[in-house]
Amino acid sequence: MFSAFDQIFTVANMQYLLRGALISLGIAAVSLLIGLIFGIIGASCKISKHAFLRAIGNFYVEVIRGTPMLLQIMIIFNVIPIIVTSFTGQAFRMNYYVIGIVAMSINSGAYTTELIRSGINGVDKGQWEACETLGLTHWQTMRLVVLPQAFKRIVPPVVSEFITLIKDSSLISTIGAIELMNSAKVLGATYYEYMSPYCLAAVFYLAMTLTISMFAKKLEGKLAESD
Amino acid sequence: MISNDSMIKVEHITKRFGKKVAVDDVSLNLNRGEIVCLIGPSGSGKSTVLRCIDHLEKPEEGQVYIEGQLLDQKDKNYSMLRRKMGFVFQHFNLFPNMTVMGNLTVAQIQVLHRDEAEAREIALKYLRIVDLEEKQDEFPNKLSGGQKQRVAIARSLCMNPEIMLFDEPTSALDPEMVIEVLEVMRNLAREGMTMMVVTHEMGFAKTVANRVIFLEDGKIIEENDARSFFENPQTDRAKLFLSKVMY
Repeated sequence: MFSAFDQIFTVANMQYLLRGALISLGIAAVSLLIGLIFGIIGASCKISKHAFLRAIGNFYVEVIRGTPMLLQIMIIFNVIPIIVTSFTGQAFRMNYYVIGIVAMSINSGAYTTELIRSGINGVDKGQWEACETLGLTHWQTMRLVVLPQAFKRIVPPVVSEFITLIKDSSLISTIGAIELMNSAKVLGATYYEYMSPYCLAAVFYLAMTLTISMFAKKLEGKLAESD
Repeated sequence: MISNDSMIKVEHITKRFGKKVAVDDVSLNLNRGEIVCLIGPSGSGKSTVLRCIDHLEKPEEGQVYIEGQLLDQKDKNYSMLRRKMGFVFQHFNLFPNMTVMGNLTVAQIQVLHRDEAEAREIALKYLRIVDLEEKQDEFPNKLSGGQKQRVAIARSLCMNPEIMLFDEPTSALDPEMVIEVLEVMRNLAREGMTMMVVTHEMGFAKTVANRVIFLEDGKIIEENDARSFFENPQTDRAKLFLSKVMY
């Protein structure tokens, strides 16, 4: 099963996997950040007074959460070049990593929309009422009282969203991006033995996810202190 | 002390929650310097009446006048009129993300545009009144229930309200903390503050209130000066209620 382990387990190959792991981590981090921006916009829509904005927010969240991420990646992979070509008239090929980041940001944005929305809604209604009786405006209440409290509730699930994104970034191997998953595949194809590189890839994924969840637990403890 | 100028005038307000009529055609009046207690069984609508006065709930019918001016969301005086009322909640609603001092200064700075030094000075003055000066840098989660409610009262007072509305201010407190909050309220009453208090503390109503309004099923059943109400209730329902709550 691990017949070529000795040949595969070399410094050069480990550096190759590490490079893949860093790309996965980078793509996940960038997607999380852009996704957070989408999430803030999405959550603002979902808690808006305007029915139209709420409908847009709901549509975004339901469509993205109700379809597989792999499908979303494939659609963006195929659709964006067509759109660009129809405008410029020239053949267009986009960087795989950029496509991956675009697809994962849109996907992550839908999940963070819900995280942010429920974080804000989770703040006690009495806080709004107290602000109202003191004469604070809606936006002052949001900025000074509600968001600081919501932030604490949002941070832990956003960290788990980051872990999810690191794992899900493996999906963009299907469009040719050489991240950790694809690096393992390439090693497997080189040595005609897949089990060793896949298991090594698993070790790299675990190193990333376990480190982050350890960090998340510490952070959660810190945030809970003032409650 | 009590004058004839009306601070709050409520005319025929009605409020429904779904099919349930929480407040049913209630009218009442509160004069400057007067202390009125709203009492009645749970679900009688007394809290909702108070919340309608402050427009935390918008009455579906009827009007609320503050110092003779109609409280109307569309009116440009709306927020100014509402600010004449301080509101104290059953569950305090202190801001857990701010220190006691932050709780007391945030609205002063944001709403009244006082500078920070002035806001702190005013906050300290009211913290002294509720005897919690030494807690100014604590976060609310480090305070007892009674202390939280006293901070909440001070927070309201910092906005210089002319009327204080109390919605069951001692109902969420452990028994040994009730007195300290009532004592603060009693002192406020002595200072001449106009107050409307929804309460289950009959001792407080009897000794501090000028007038008592007894509600049931969203309607005013009986209204009288406090002494007459407790010593000689007129209606059977008030008699029955008092026989159950006075021990």
